Amino acid sequence: MSTDQLRPMSPVQIAQTRDFIDGLEAGAATYWDMVEIGDELSRELTISPELGILYADGVEDFNPWYEGWRMNSWTIPGESPFGGAIVPPLLVSHFVLSVQFDHTRPFAIGSIHTNHDSEILAPIPVGATVRITTRATDKYVKRERRYVRHAVTVEDVANGTLYFRETRDILSL
Amino acid sequence: MDVNDLLVTRDTPVGYELQPLKKKAAIQLMGSRLWGRFNPNHWDPVYAGATGLKAPIQTGEMSSAYIAEMCVNHFGAAMFTGARVVCKYIASTLANEVITTHGVVREKIAKGDGFRFVVDVWADNEEGEKKTVGFVEVDVDVTGDRA
Repeated sequence: MSTDQLRPMSPVQIAQTRDFIDGLEAGAATYWDMVEIGDELSRELTISPELGILYADGVEDFNPWYEGWRMNSWTIPGESPFGGAIVPPLLVSHFVLSVQFDHTRPFAIGSIHTNHDSEILAPIPVGATVRITTRATDKYVKRERRYVRHAVTVEDVANGTLYFRETRDILSL
Repeated sequence: MDVNDLLVTRDTPVGYELQPLKKKAAIQLMGSRLWGRFNPNHWDPVYAGATGLKAPIQTGEMSSAYIAEMCVNHFGAAMFTGARVVCKYIASTLANEVITTHGVVREKIAKGDGFRFVVDVWADNEEGEKKTVGFVEVDVDVTGDRA
């Protein structure tokens, strides 16, 4: 396999890519080693209109309910059955990864998310600041592979609304 | 097809098939900053090969997002008020594969004034190999007991 196998790249782009990956690998620890059962971590995330668009564009979901930003108009209130723009149902799940370990330390690239059980309890308005809290509930080995399980809650920082709950497993290197 | 006719109602029967979505596992999206840039298994053929993968693999959360989009098409606002999405990633989605989402209503459980629908969902490639499997639960016309 080559760096440019799946998309055209010049020698400069290939060199930049290899440098970037070398940087990711430097000094990284595995999830398994970074997390102990009972670890609880929490971070706040403001879901800006642009962040919502960035997420939705990546999965080519063009539902207008998620548009708190539109080209030419820029920031807009948006429209949905709940009033203004809301965030896609599983958006916050994608950001749990950035909470469930010490994000200030490099983590081992190559880990794989294997499953999730998610409850979408209430719509999250675009622009809300949420607190994502994760608690490591289990570490287990299955078929010689190492897994770390987390329980997750997402609530509104301003009014305490519980928006989202989830249980998820990561296959660690 | 009139997309306004997609909405599931209390009269929608068990066995009803949701309209599928098709998405290509495009390497440019898989490796975008928000989705997979932090893990080269999601976009770099060399790194993916070194870790034993045939090709870069799409993050499973992208498949979950596809399934959620299909469900919003059919359940609308109900997908944001007490829904449950359970997904297991049973095989890797490789770069350039075309993924199709599927859903079939498995069960309708009486709840309050309406029903809690249970829908089996999955995503597969062009050869029919399942990549993601799971189920979704959504309340339809439930105005009473939401517990």
